[in-house]
Amino acid sequence: MHGIVYDQVNDEIIVPIHLAGAVVVFRGDAHGEEAPIRKIQGPRTRILRPETVAVDDVHNEIFVGEDGGKDVLVFPRDADGDVAPLRTIRGPKTQLDEIRSVAVDPIRNLVVVSSRSARWPTGVFIFNRTDDGDVVPRAVIAGPHTGISRIRQVAVDPQQGKIFVAAKNNRDSYQFDSAAPSPWNPDQPGFIGVWDIMDSGDIPPKGLIKGPASGLVWPAGVALNFKDREIYTIDSVRNGMFTYFMPELFRK
Amino acid sequence: MRHFNGRSSNLAGIAAAVLLSATGFKLTIPPESSNATSILQPDNGEEGDICLVMPVLASLQAALPPIESPAGGDVVPVRSVEDPYPSLHSIAVDTEHDQVVMTDSNRGGILFYDRTSGNKSSLTTDPSWRIRGPATGMMFVAGVALDPTRREVFTVDNDIGDRMMVFPYDVDGNVRPKRVLSVPHGAWGIALNQQRDEIAISIEHPNSIVVYGRAATRLDAPKRVIHGPHAGLEDPHGIVFDVPANEILVANHGNWAPLDREEAGEGENSIPGRFDSPSITSYPGLAEGDVRPMRTLQGTQTQLNWPMGMSLDSIHDEIAVANYGDNSILIFHRTDNGNVAPVRLLRGNRTGILGPMGVAFDTKNDELWVANYRDHSAVVFSRTASGNASPKRTIRDAPPGSPAVGFGNPGAIAYDTKREELLVPN
Repeated sequence: MHGIVYDQVNDEIIVPIHLAGAVVVFRGDAHGEEAPIRKIQGPRTRILRPETVAVDDVHNEIFVGEDGGKDVLVFPRDADGDVAPLRTIRGPKTQLDEIRSVAVDPIRNLVVVSSRSARWPTGVFIFNRTDDGDVVPRAVIAGPHTGISRIRQVAVDPQQGKIFVAAKNNRDSYQFDSAAPSPWNPDQPGFIGVWDIMDSGDIPPKGLIKGPASGLVWPAGVALNFKDREIYTIDSVRNGMFTYFMPELFRK
Repeated sequence: MRHFNGRSSNLAGIAAAVLLSATGFKLTIPPESSNATSILQPDNGEEGDICLVMPVLASLQAALPPIESPAGGDVVPVRSVEDPYPSLHSIAVDTEHDQVVMTDSNRGGILFYDRTSGNKSSLTTDPSWRIRGPATGMMFVAGVALDPTRREVFTVDNDIGDRMMVFPYDVDGNVRPKRVLSVPHGAWGIALNQQRDEIAISIEHPNSIVVYGRAATRLDAPKRVIHGPHAGLEDPHGIVFDVPANEILVANHGNWAPLDREEAGEGENSIPGRFDSPSITSYPGLAEGDVRPMRTLQGTQTQLNWPMGMSLDSIHDEIAVANYGDNSILIFHRTDNGNVAPVRLLRGNRTGILGPMGVAFDTKNDELWVANYRDHSAVVFSRTASGNASPKRTIRDAPPGSPAVGFGNPGAIAYDTKREELLVPN
């Protein structure tokens, strides 16, 4: 499992099960070997290998991002069983490939998608919330000045209109003919970057957590606590979770 | 219209204006005293197209020094949760050289212990050697296998790295592997067949078993692949070669989903993902392609629940399964088939078994080893121990009571605003 979201309005935890082609919903205080209260799975769902989920508790929808399926599927929030998606964002115009994360801005009616690709840009793709089919993104934040080479989770602060990005920036492959063949290079760390949701193009982040003091090597996840103005990250090579107090990145 | 983020010096602005002149765009740079940002727009004064602006911005920013530092920087965390100790994953025993080897998936390493290590005290036991560090290439290491003849240890990276690494015995620290082999994504278990000079690796994501020559390296292709809708492979984990019977045995979690739209098919007849019961499936040693298992151990009587590592005792015709889901070790007859209860099991508060990931028979010394992922320990039993038995001895890699955080290549995080809790999936 590489995705999770908490639905604070309905007190539910939503999890994509990549290896079983399903999205399962648990009670907010679920623990132990507890059965889900709902499960989205079946041929009508078009779910293939779900990597990530997001919930829009304003419009009552669940967004499912798939790396294998290279698409974003939108379901009613209370969907259960073999349910067809309401909308699908998929196709070459979208430039979406291995989707890593999805987030929703219900105020501006935007969907923010992180995607990794060898063919298309690797970065942040912004769509209209109600987009359906093979659509061109409204904006793409990608390129060398963004600093993003490998991307994972994105989180949105809809009040401020900001996107928080976990840029993992790891290498996977062993460089057989290199003098330093190991892909584990602690001198090339990832970071948490912050962009405006109306940003577009190859632009550097407006906010950043990066460097040896931060402890981050390959940050894969990012979550926000608006009340306490904290940013939470999870690091996949350190197997660690880090909390940053960053009032300058939140609305007072 | 898109704004160029940041203020420009006059010199840089002039350079940028020259750079842009050939593109049909102009850069409007406000005076230094102004708080306004520079504005990039077409020369005709009409609003620019986003698709055209993007490459121009790239060229522009390459030409300009960074002016405005982003907020934040190298910020020290106010809190952190990390496990400084190894998380014991898989285990293998070499009775010829009296070595026990375990993988550490938390810190990406391999730990070597003397076979007689451990005691009944609460003291920690230092490994004889440990291989770990950036040069090793090991990240989220999983399965382990030993070649006592050549004194080599094999391990695979799971869900990141996509490779098998081979190290010699008796090396210590941040060393390069002796051999590296690229393998498909999601490798978990590894088994060695010394008679056939082959290695078999279980691959979670494509529900496959790949078999290579023992000395395979770099980008060598597998000799055989078991994969297909009839193969019964569903999120395979533990794997063993049964050399005397010429079979391969695999522990499956029971998750299955098509790898891509081609495998899923289209329309009403498309094949969706599914949750099945966990199973142990057996194949002929030379099986290839979409072959049906010879035997499938599956059902409520088996008590299988997240079966992880396995071990084979060819002398007594038994297989041991690390049953992570209910903190037990299940022992079956080697040829059990169908919905069959284990011949014995180890489970209970006295066993010290907590989140067992690895299990290994030592038939020479009549012992059974268990590596605990959810505790910083490995426990050793008599081979025939059953029920709520106490271990003969325990290897601890952390002081008693040290929590095992349990992060394993985490890829996301969520904040529960109601309970003020953080949720992390592995």
